Amino acid sequence: MDAVSTTALTKRYPHHELPPERLARRLRGEPRNDVLALEDLSIAVREGEIFGFLGPNGAGKSTTIRLLLGFLHPSSGGGQVMGLDIVRDSVAIRARVGYLPGGIALYDTLSGERLLDYLGELTGRPSVRRAELLDRLELSTRTLQRPVRDYSRGMRQKIGIIQALQHDPELAILDEPTEGLDPLMQRAFYAILDDLKAAGRTIFFSSHVLSEVERVCDRVAIVRRGRLVALQDVASLLEHRKRNVELRAAPGEAIHLDGVAGVSGVKQAADGRITCQLEGDVGPFLAAIAGHRISDLTIEPAHLEEAFLELYQDAEPGDPAAGVSAAGASPAGVTSR
Amino acid sequence: MNRVLFGHLWRSQRTKLVIASIAMAAWNVFLPVIYQSFGQQMKALIDSGIIPKQFTNFGGGDVFSLPGSIALGYVHPIAIILVSIFAIGFATSAVAGERQRGTLEVVLARPLSRRSLYLTELAATLVLIGIVLVAASVGTLVGCALAGVLGELAVERLPLLWINGMLLWGTIGAIALATSVSFDRLTPALGITLAIVIVSYFLEILGSLWPDAKGLQPYSLFHYLMSRDVLGGTIDPFAFGILAVVGAMAIVVALVVFPRRDLAAPS
Repeated sequence: MDAVSTTALTKRYPHHELPPERLARRLRGEPRNDVLALEDLSIAVREGEIFGFLGPNGAGKSTTIRLLLGFLHPSSGGGQVMGLDIVRDSVAIRARVGYLPGGIALYDTLSGERLLDYLGELTGRPSVRRAELLDRLELSTRTLQRPVRDYSRGMRQKIGIIQALQHDPELAILDEPTEGLDPLMQRAFYAILDDLKAAGRTIFFSSHVLSEVERVCDRVAIVRRGRLVALQDVASLLEHRKRNVELRAAPGEAIHLDGVAGVSGVKQAADGRITCQLEGDVGPFLAAIAGHRISDLTIEPAHLEEAFLELYQDAEPGDPAAGVSAAGASPAGVTSR
Repeated sequence: MNRVLFGHLWRSQRTKLVIASIAMAAWNVFLPVIYQSFGQQMKALIDSGIIPKQFTNFGGGDVFSLPGSIALGYVHPIAIILVSIFAIGFATSAVAGERQRGTLEVVLARPLSRRSLYLTELAATLVLIGIVLVAASVGTLVGCALAGVLGELAVERLPLLWINGMLLWGTIGAIALATSVSFDRLTPALGITLAIVIVSYFLEILGSLWPDAKGLQPYSLFHYLMSRDVLGGTIDPFAFGILAVVGAMAIVVALVVFPRRDLAAPS
């Protein structure tokens, strides 16, 4: 069973217009000009994986999360979370999910401890992970006694993470979870995610920090203008990306890389420095440089950022379908599973 | 209804509740004392014709009789402001205020249905209003005792007066909650509720002061708060029924609208 699955999930918002505008449009016989926030989203998140959900602001990430949790009602299509219908069983879904909203708002007058107690009691499940999370995120008992209004942004985010995970949910939906955390705490948070994954929990991770998605996620879905652009393993997404190569040949060495499989954009400088892009199998490239005297060689790993930008540049701005068809036409594009 | 949410609401309001209840009790202590101290002198002043006769009937209350002075206590702006802290202030911010602050998101991420959340907020609103009105009754009893007019008061009718007050303020609270669940921001919810209450109050007071505007009074919710009649032993079931029906309609509207609404991300 998938932890999350959606089928042609679509959300339209009515376009806000003043009554005279609405009347004029009706008199002209024009249809409603709805805003399409999410269109035909079909994804499946496997149990026990860390699933990255990527896209810039306004791409439809939060809309998807809010549909999964029952805050929004789908215009068409549907979905299931833990085998439960997102429309009919939304209360039962929320009993099994931990949710960290993006830019979380907390009750400022409560102390951190009282807030966590309150939210834990509302969940109706014991807060079995709280002590461990407090320890790993370095929130002391003394800090928890202070009112939330005195907390820094990072401390608020830590409280947000703890309230989402303290009851050890089967599925954690985390929207921009490292926002406001310092690098040390980000590392501690990634370790927490690793442990949750090891314990068989599923993480739905929405972010636009590509480096962290690349670091923690097993698979990613990329959305653009409310439509799915790609859904793939992070590893296979990176496999097809070009790596930047820079090598420096010893004086008098002539290395010819033109025509070598997977190598492109070869540039040779007068000082013996050669730069190129390398895609796919590194074997032909290594064979081509073997036997030559090389004083320095750097192969930069492919980053998700390049894959992300490439997918976004495939489409003409203002044409939502273009991005989908470009990716969908490619074998490396949209794959439902 | 959710016990944990109710407990949270109770704790968040208890300081305000203590202050409002003490103020309400103190205000209602004051009125029997005024009646006993100045009622007869003021009646002579009115009878002299210097002050128009209509001022003896401000919103169904006066200071020339004990029931009239108690009724005046219930319809006076001071009492209205004190009950409105919860009937309007608490109720309108219950959902729209939390939406605006973004905290509703954290609560609704729990296994709590919107109907359950609404009914808990409604229960909290009614309990808070009920306690302030109990404080009013206690103040009335203490005031009558201090003024030495307890014998003139039909103590057994105070619970009926409390029920009448609860129906009025409970209905206003239900209207406030219905607007609260309908908007994402506090300002329109508060504005609409205040407009309903102010227009309603204005119609009742206008009708009580100006005979030509008497026909407007049935359109006011305050017209069905019949404190003087209730204390005098006359109960109009129609008045109680009207308030109950309007309140029930507001509850039904909220129960239909809230679960069907889209709760988009807070801006």
